Amino acid sequence: MAGLELLSDQGYRLDGRKATELRKVQARMGVFAQADGSAYLEQGNTKALAVVYGPHEIRGARSRALHDRAIINCQYSMATFSTAERKRRPHGDRKSTEMSLHLKQTFEAAVLTQLYPRSQIDIYVKILQSDGGNYSVCVNAATLAVIDAGIPMRDYVCACTVGFVDETSLADLCYAEESGGVSSLALALLPRGGQIALVQMDARLHQDHLDTLIEAAMTACKGVSKVLDQVVRQHLQEGSTLRE
Amino acid sequence: MIKTERILHLRRFRGRKVRVVREHYLRERVPCFSSLCQADCANGVKVLPGDLTHYVMPDADVVVDYLEILELKELQGIIFTQTACQALHSKGRRFYNRLRSLVKDPRFHCVQFANEFQQYSFCPREKGESQEKWQTRCVYSAAVWYYNHLAGMMNVVMITEDEEAVAQYSSLHSGVYVVTVQDYLQNFWPDLQAAQELYASISQALEEREAEDSQREFPEHLPAEVMEAGIKSGRYIQGTLSVNKHRAQSEALVQTEGSSSQAMDLSSGVLVHGGKNRNRAVHGDVVVVELLPRSEWRGRATLLTEGQGDDRSPDDGQEKPMPTVKPIPVEKSADMQRCTAEKCGHDQGRVVGVLQRNWRDYVVTFPSRDASQSQSRSCQRVLTVPWDRRIPKIRISTQQAEALQDHRVVVRLDSWESTSLYPNGHSVKVLGRAGELETEVQTILVENCIHVPPFSEAQMKEMPLSSPEKPWRVDPAEVARRRDLRDSHLVFSIDPLGCEDVDDTLSVRSLAGGTLLELGVHIADVTHFVPEGSLTDLEARTRATTYYLADRRYDMLPAVLSADLCSLLGGVDRYAMSVLWELDAGSLAVRRVWFGRTVIRSSYQLHYELAQALLNGEEVRVPELERFCPEEKDLKLAQLIQALEMLTRVSRHLRLQRDRGGALELEGVEVRAQLDKDKNITALVPRQPLEVHETVAECMIYANHWVARKIQESFPNRALLRRHPPPRLELFSQLVDTAKAMGFSVDTRTNKALADSLDRAVDPQDPMVNRLLRMMATRAMSQALYFSTGSQPQDQYYHYAGRLLMTSPTTGRRFHCSSVDHVQFKHTNVFCECEFLCYHKSHLQFHGPAAAAAAVCFSAAVSSEKFCFCLSGLALDRYTHFTSPIRRYADMVVHRLLTAALELEQGAGPAGILATNRELEELAQHINNKNWTAQRAQSASTGLFQCLFFRDRDPQTDLRCVADAIIYAIRDNGVLVFVPEYGIKGPVYLRNKEGQVVSAEAGGSCKWQGGKVRRYPSYITTTTAGGCSATFRLMSHITVRISVRSSSCHSDTLVLEVISNQPHRGSGPPASQGHRQLVQEVVRLAESAQQTAAPTHKLSRQERDFLQSRTPNLYSILEEIRELALMDLDALSQASEQTVLTVPDPLP
Repeated sequence: MAGLELLSDQGYRLDGRKATELRKVQARMGVFAQADGSAYLEQGNTKALAVVYGPHEIRGARSRALHDRAIINCQYSMATFSTAERKRRPHGDRKSTEMSLHLKQTFEAAVLTQLYPRSQIDIYVKILQSDGGNYSVCVNAATLAVIDAGIPMRDYVCACTVGFVDETSLADLCYAEESGGVSSLALALLPRGGQIALVQMDARLHQDHLDTLIEAAMTACKGVSKVLDQVVRQHLQEGSTLRE
Repeated sequence: MIKTERILHLRRFRGRKVRVVREHYLRERVPCFSSLCQADCANGVKVLPGDLTHYVMPDADVVVDYLEILELKELQGIIFTQTACQALHSKGRRFYNRLRSLVKDPRFHCVQFANEFQQYSFCPREKGESQEKWQTRCVYSAAVWYYNHLAGMMNVVMITEDEEAVAQYSSLHSGVYVVTVQDYLQNFWPDLQAAQELYASISQALEEREAEDSQREFPEHLPAEVMEAGIKSGRYIQGTLSVNKHRAQSEALVQTEGSSSQAMDLSSGVLVHGGKNRNRAVHGDVVVVELLPRSEWRGRATLLTEGQGDDRSPDDGQEKPMPTVKPIPVEKSADMQRCTAEKCGHDQGRVVGVLQRNWRDYVVTFPSRDASQSQSRSCQRVLTVPWDRRIPKIRISTQQAEALQDHRVVVRLDSWESTSLYPNGHSVKVLGRAGELETEVQTILVENCIHVPPFSEAQMKEMPLSSPEKPWRVDPAEVARRRDLRDSHLVFSIDPLGCEDVDDTLSVRSLAGGTLLELGVHIADVTHFVPEGSLTDLEARTRATTYYLADRRYDMLPAVLSADLCSLLGGVDRYAMSVLWELDAGSLAVRRVWFGRTVIRSSYQLHYELAQALLNGEEVRVPELERFCPEEKDLKLAQLIQALEMLTRVSRHLRLQRDRGGALELEGVEVRAQLDKDKNITALVPRQPLEVHETVAECMIYANHWVARKIQESFPNRALLRRHPPPRLELFSQLVDTAKAMGFSVDTRTNKALADSLDRAVDPQDPMVNRLLRMMATRAMSQALYFSTGSQPQDQYYHYAGRLLMTSPTTGRRFHCSSVDHVQFKHTNVFCECEFLCYHKSHLQFHGPAAAAAAVCFSAAVSSEKFCFCLSGLALDRYTHFTSPIRRYADMVVHRLLTAALELEQGAGPAGILATNRELEELAQHINNKNWTAQRAQSASTGLFQCLFFRDRDPQTDLRCVADAIIYAIRDNGVLVFVPEYGIKGPVYLRNKEGQVVSAEAGGSCKWQGGKVRRYPSYITTTTAGGCSATFRLMSHITVRISVRSSSCHSDTLVLEVISNQPHRGSGPPASQGHRQLVQEVVRLAESAQQTAAPTHKLSRQERDFLQSRTPNLYSILEEIRELALMDLDALSQASEQTVLTVPDPLP
């Protein structure tokens, strides 16, 4: 894979996008009636389903309850058919656990948990098809699901991965780019205030480039937030026309 | 915001047949890069011109197979489709990169069109469609799109090799023509003979490849994944293959990563023995080797002597060069072989795969008919012999074999199948008949990858106009921006006689009533005329340097710049970059430095001999003063002489600094060829050293150093500087051994010690001894390299001479201080004071593993004097090249950096975007490589002319073919000698192949007789069967006869043959030269005595600053010598020439 040219001299990426362009984002809210909130989101070829239950009473050990806010329980899983080769273990492996933890941290920063003391909010996200940027797609899908469930949040949480190639930052990496030796960074943003909910990077990058990379990630996240906002508005419009 | 539409999924199968779905975004606006574009495409700077008859769009298979034809500059308006580029990418990174640089280069009229991202030109691959068909379809659809996009204003020709495609598409669309490559070349470019020949040659090679027979000669290479995994696991070793020049058939060394070619640690690397083990790798390839079990190792040293017999190439059958490794007795038993193999320190292995082919253009010689009779002439294949001995013979399919007999031809390698003993190639260009001067010079150029086409029209258009009728004048607006030195400063230049490109001038004057001295160095402002990124700039960057061959020169810049506008000629206004120092008139300490752009008018254009004559007070005519009346003339002359004297004083002072610090005075021999009118060589004359040479060099070094300081301070991580890699200690050992044999001890631990011991090693009878020792020391020094400051840790800037070596006297361990230590030293001024103390107590020893301790120990040293502080020579911390922008690209880069630094200082951001560290490092590498090739070419052409000089003379009768020589090294079966008269180094054999040895008769004359040779550390004796014996001692003089051994396929070589073991009568150094040296020596001694007597309190702050900066000087010597020196890796311990033939007039 090392031989791939991730950014051509004319500024095209492998799939024909320019450096700052996002993949096509499509989403739908309220896909399941049984759950409190649900959403389906496609970002390029990465597709995710998010379901939210709650807020409800703490299930299981009561001792976990917090007296001043709700606890958020996240579970991330990947469908066995989501990758090119069938996945053996859809959830519970180390990667998924870590991803669940990251989601939990992200949403604890965004959801107004203090409104629901001694209760619990469950967020379940499933990747149906994986093509890079799994974390950010999960965050975006879960945001829509939380909104669908009517749980108050500070702001949309929008996430995006960015990579750094040839002194240029690439927005919204696809799988080929992620595995092609790019040092990638995932960032979740509350776009209106510009607050960062989570940053994650486990590659080597020169310190000088970090600022530009974060800047690019924030721009990309703001782009995503516009799309999500549109989706939410359209969903509400559909809902209100139905009621009339 | 998001404009793109996801349209489809691409399927990719790879490796384990994984089905990969990829997105593919299409867009409507894809730039077309044509100046005819009607739709306002976002075209960049490089667009296809609109005045062509057609654009040509090659199909993918054409790009893959015939890229070389498309690389011809004559073919214009080429559109490379993305489809074709990707096909090329899968062929190999190297080819793809070639295409990329082609597209980027504004000199070639070709562009790349991203057809697969264009909504209307893209066509998805259909089920069951073969890749080739799909690619052809894509390219055709792109051609149609292009035609329509340009509204039918330009016809588009698609060239393909697929006959079906021609039949299918050619009549579909008017304006889009589909033809085969052959038809295209014949119909559109009937005049372009080169392209058609190239086409014929490539297509024939391709056909041959298909019709290979299937008998395996070599094991197959491993697949890339296996090699990669093997390298990671440590099973295989990756490295660059370098073939031994003298045993090209049998021996090759794989230099592993990390041990770069410069480091030349001879014991590292893997030895690959024999052609089978080498497995089709060619010199320069990056290969993967597997170690052989020890039982299969073969003795290397033994092979050196055995290998002489079994050599297949026709003219290598002659005497081989002598073994250059330490002699190991020849033993036939297998045990002993293994033992010697282990002794020589190389692992042995075999090549399992090639990671990257580094094939370049090779010059080959077609065999003459009688030699090629055995070849199968029916199938038109010819085995040709490359000029470079390290390259295997190349098989070429051609119909012109008859016509090309004994011609030198440029070829390219195509492939080397495992079924073939030899690689296949195709011819590219015929250079001419072997043995002719022009052919040989061209051969040298091609072999060194030097490509110097004449400057193109577009490049010349960028140049300002200047003609004899309408000379170029300075622009008043530009003058207003610069500091005007035309009236205030007496500026003059000192250059070799007849020099055209004057790029440096000097000025010196008194200021503030004589208390201050202002020294100025003014360098031609080339970057004013050559903006970054212009065509001229690109060309200069590619060339990187002016190539000086023995009889001609290839300029880096067009002549209008190098010989006129940027040449600081006398009496005309010129732009310059200046460095002005204000020095204290008494102590010569630096008070202030000023950098900037100026306007100057050089008053005198002196040459070295004239300047020296003026200094010596001789009566000479200065051409510039002829027009003045006598009184005025005397006044002007007095001014000039005063300035020259002042300059000499300053430079003597600078020089003294370095003498005190232990500068090495190293020796190189420069020979000038005197040509008569018909370019025949009449004599080879060694150049006379004059003091004024040093004066000028000193000032330039000083300027270089200060500029280096300036740019490094302004751009700490992206300044272009020069550094010395550490010296190769094993070469020093040769020097030490030689000196020991003469009874001198040479201490190579530090520069200072080395300089001192070299000064001591003088044989009062023979001045040549010292000169030879110095020459050997020069060879041991590593060559200086350009580098970007961001890419090296700071302690590496200080070339080895600048590193601080601390020796603990108790344990004898030595420490290198790191960069941090240096900084600390400087900040605490310990550094300067140490230097000062070193000077007084000459050997104050210093102890401590790190600098923190060093500062403490320093005080200890002062109090107890127990420790030894060895400053390793002159700490020249930063150095760069600034003074010759006309002939070196590096200097242009430095000029731009300096300009940017000055702009930064004035608060304005730098005008242009400066190169990043990585770009600069790449550039530095490129310049280094080019300098190497320039040196190799220069040395090869020197050798060529030496051969020409002796070729026409009959060695038996001509007196000039007999010369005095000095033995400077002893080998097993002969000695290495140096011929001072011609600056030739070479081997003299004392035993020939028949086993006869040289014996001396009374009176010294020698003749060949059967006998034995015995070698001792400092002498070698021959004993004949008759009992006569002759002894040859190190550093003794003998008489040799010089003759030429001609070779049809390779370069001619000089052969030295001993004719007497007595010095040659009638030789001896010219007395006048000795006298002049004596005078200079006396002057210098007087100056140094005066300085030593100066009271210590005069070492004020400025003085200390000054002491710090006295460092450039060692560099100067190294630099001057290095520029002339050739470092050939294979001939490293072989005699390498250090001569330079300089000729004032280039060929018109």
